[in-house]
Amino acid sequence: MATITAGSQIGRSIPRLESRDKVTGRAEYTHHLKLPGMLYGKIFRSTMPHAKIRKVDTSAAAALPGVYRVVTIDDIRTVIPHPYYGPAFHDQPVLADGKVRFAGEPVAVVLASDPAVAEEALGLIEAEYEELPAVYDELEAASSPHLVHDELKPAATFPDLQHLKGRRGTNIALDYKMRRGNVDAAFASADHVFEHEFRTQQVMHVPMEPFVTVADVANGQATLHTASQGPSFVRIEIARLLGWPENRVRVKVPHLGGGFGGKLYIKLEALVTSLSLLVARPVKISLTMEEQFFMVTRHPCTFRIKSAVTKAGKITARKCEVWWNGGAYADIGPRVTQKAGFTSAGPYDIENVWIDSFAVYTNRPPCGALRGFGAPQTAWAYECHMDMMARELDLDPVAFRRMNMLRNGRPQAGGTVMEDADIEASMDLALERIGWNAPLERVSGNIRRGRGIAIGFKGITAPTTSVAIVNVYADGSCVLYISTVDMGQGSDTVMAQIVGEVLNLDPEKIKVIHPDTDVTPYDMGTLGSRSTYHMGTAVRLAAEDAKNKIEELARDLDMPPGSNLPVAELLRKKYGMQAGNIIGTGSFMPDYQKPDPETGQTRKATPFWGVGASSAEVEIDMETGEFKVTKLVNIADVGVPINPKLVEAQLSGAGIMQYGFTTIENMIFRDGQLTNGSLADYKIPSLLDMPKVFINEATRSNQKDGPFGAKGAGESTTIALSPAIGNAIADAIGVHIPDLPVTPEAVYRAIQSLKNAGGH
Amino acid sequence: MIGLDIHEPQSLEEAFALLGDDESTARPMGGGTALMLMMKARLFKPSALVSLAKADPRFHGIHLSSDGKAFTIGAMTTFAALEHHDAIAKHLPVITQTMVTLANPRVRNVATIGGNLAHADPHLDLPPVWLSLDSSIRTIGPAGERIVPLADFFAGYYETNLLPGELIMQVHVPVSPGWRRRYVKITTRSAHDWPAVGIALGLQMQAELCTDVRIVLSAATDRPLRLEAAESILRGQKLTPGRIADAAQATGDIHIESDSRGSADYKAHLLKVHLARALQDLSE
Repeated sequence: MATITAGSQIGRSIPRLESRDKVTGRAEYTHHLKLPGMLYGKIFRSTMPHAKIRKVDTSAAAALPGVYRVVTIDDIRTVIPHPYYGPAFHDQPVLADGKVRFAGEPVAVVLASDPAVAEEALGLIEAEYEELPAVYDELEAASSPHLVHDELKPAATFPDLQHLKGRRGTNIALDYKMRRGNVDAAFASADHVFEHEFRTQQVMHVPMEPFVTVADVANGQATLHTASQGPSFVRIEIARLLGWPENRVRVKVPHLGGGFGGKLYIKLEALVTSLSLLVARPVKISLTMEEQFFMVTRHPCTFRIKSAVTKAGKITARKCEVWWNGGAYADIGPRVTQKAGFTSAGPYDIENVWIDSFAVYTNRPPCGALRGFGAPQTAWAYECHMDMMARELDLDPVAFRRMNMLRNGRPQAGGTVMEDADIEASMDLALERIGWNAPLERVSGNIRRGRGIAIGFKGITAPTTSVAIVNVYADGSCVLYISTVDMGQGSDTVMAQIVGEVLNLDPEKIKVIHPDTDVTPYDMGTLGSRSTYHMGTAVRLAAEDAKNKIEELARDLDMPPGSNLPVAELLRKKYGMQAGNIIGTGSFMPDYQKPDPETGQTRKATPFWGVGASSAEVEIDMETGEFKVTKLVNIADVGVPINPKLVEAQLSGAGIMQYGFTTIENMIFRDGQLTNGSLADYKIPSLLDMPKVFINEATRSNQKDGPFGAKGAGESTTIALSPAIGNAIADAIGVHIPDLPVTPEAVYRAIQSLKNAGGH
Repeated sequence: MIGLDIHEPQSLEEAFALLGDDESTARPMGGGTALMLMMKARLFKPSALVSLAKADPRFHGIHLSSDGKAFTIGAMTTFAALEHHDAIAKHLPVITQTMVTLANPRVRNVATIGGNLAHADPHLDLPPVWLSLDSSIRTIGPAGERIVPLADFFAGYYETNLLPGELIMQVHVPVSPGWRRRYVKITTRSAHDWPAVGIALGLQMQAELCTDVRIVLSAATDRPLRLEAAESILRGQKLTPGRIADAAQATGDIHIESDSRGSADYKAHLLKVHLARALQDLSE
């Protein structure tokens, strides 16, 4: 074993542990898995956005040679009496139950040994519907008499949602409130009041590996192999659905081909487990790329924001009204509504704040977590709003932000005192890297150029827990058991670096055991930038526990202090042969205080703050509205980067993704039908679309209570990127575009409307 | 029936027999890139696919006539073969230029020019370029061969004037020395998207005079379309900025549909601006 100097593993850009396996095609993915006797399921989906199901005729499909069985909710109910699931609300039936709530909803499944047969049989199923009036827009749905669900059904696992139980006659699934100071008085006495409305569109994660689950339920045991970001949650929810103890449900997750929040909580697992239970054979369902548009997406959002500002530019009050279009099933939408609602007034120090954030059901595909958990939608609004006010007040947008910025030691609107959040340093670095003060040739021919800056922050899902086990074998080699899912972000590598740092081992020689709930301990989920901080701390504690036990063993063996005998020799001395283990465990749950339900106030809302700043330079073709982002800079405060190269990959990956959500991606619906649900028509950015100058960098920061000063990096660059581009475009053309995506046509229309209004 | 049969006939007679009559859902296949997408989306379900790879040698090859006046290109020629062909680069550089913006290397390696024409999706990049080059196609069917000018070939959205049983065998492309040509691909989303508007241009200039011109619009209309009104404003004239602007304005009557790439009037605007710019550029 190589001897490594203590302190040398943090800040080391070691290559990912799985690189060789991935490039040689050896990495394990659920898509490769075949079990003996396995049936393939293909899903028959609703063509109606909102309708009662009169009849589903499966007879012709069932009669097709090779079809094992066609399954509807009636069949599922024979084995699971109450087949409803979901992380926040138990509102989603395993298959449509009496009615369909969005076009694309699963209605029936064909099972066959040959997936081509199952696919063929789908065409033979006939469903008869009685169409119901549908609601698609979040504002309309909020007051519509046409209800997506008759009654709200919050899950028992979320105690703070219990007041919603049994609520009827509304599409509003959750109303989050934050109150600080006296907003009305501040508006009444304000020098200036500004009010703007912004909208964002529905987009999808587009993981390269579509959803896939294999379930094998037999003899009172359920084993799931699934592409999930949250194996521990899947086990809990499947155990609840089956009415079984957790130890009879086993969830295994190999590598993931991307997750981005889509593969969280419970998705295909409920359906595939039900099917396997029903037919007592292993069942596999692999979605196509096209079907992913019907699984989970990012919330469209309407945000009305209003600020009171003094003559000098101090913001004295802010009112936020945020409407989240959650689609037909809640998924984790209510949590997005709360968590993104919580930071929707932006990273500013404002005395009087009023926030209302509403989760609204509509007849669209469900919406959930997507890289930022709502923070990108809110930052689009509050950061464009900042520049619009600065323009009206003739203030420098940077000075205006600086004057109002929330700084460490000051309470955020919800009462939590901000700590270790390098907002200003991030902004400064973003300004420096774009060359904010360098001259800009603003006009050349038809081209106008502009620059934009934006900052943003997010709270981290709380309270959540991570548990880790470090096992040192008799020869001194080491494995780490964690339920963090490596979906491409490099968590295996970073966790191995933490163990290596504590135990003075070479991280490249540590084996990280992938999630298997029979083996790896609980983790709340690989989500919300939490793994490095939460699991990283649990791993550090587990490694320290192992280290203490090694030292204890040395003492028991009467080794002189500092003799530093290798573990293998200690164990050999103890057992007289190569035998035994040293097991260290660590468990971490950060401090948290539940917010007051009426005011949202708490002393500790979030374990740490995600911080991002972006700057952009654009050039606009004033005749056509076509634009180029010529420079794009993303800066994040990630604390101490444990693996700087992986941090940069996280920042740039999130940046490319959010760039697509800003300028290209849009799920377009006509009468509730998705019209561009394939990669031929739903375009995502390629490298050819990215700005020539694309800088992604972390500030020099320190998260004092993070593992070796680190915190999460997965979402930071999604927050401020869109408004930086929006503000740069407005700087060039003289007017803001309030809706995402910012397309060439939207820019053209904005230029035209300015011309028509006599502007210049 | 589950699945489908894939045939690779060794003669034309065999191919015709496999393709069957008008009622048949057997389909000829070039590279299969468009067909596979339609099958995957369940828009089309053929009973059999008939590859034309080995049916006749005339489906293959890129030949410049001995007098150097025209190319004959087999319908099974892949985009990549065209892209990397020296004589094409020399005599029809607009084709080489178009290839770089067309789909991606993986598609270009298998997609064929015949399949591309027969697919008749108006968003495709190559058909308007062929049309601007005054190309024609040689078809072959059970009833014999025909030469069809490309101008008469497209019938509408995904529709052609091919007769039942007929196959595209070759594309004939005149070489036109002295012409300046360009394909302008205007995308409104990602760089690898299909165009919102495609413009294929050819200008024949003598001194300052435009002696002849071809303007073909694609993507925004249901088929590639010669813009004859605009052409006639330019033909035989000096290309002053005013005249170019008049020609661009003369595109106003074209029926353009709104879609996810842009509204009809925005696409009409893009056409006007980019046509004027390309004309200005080419005329200089």
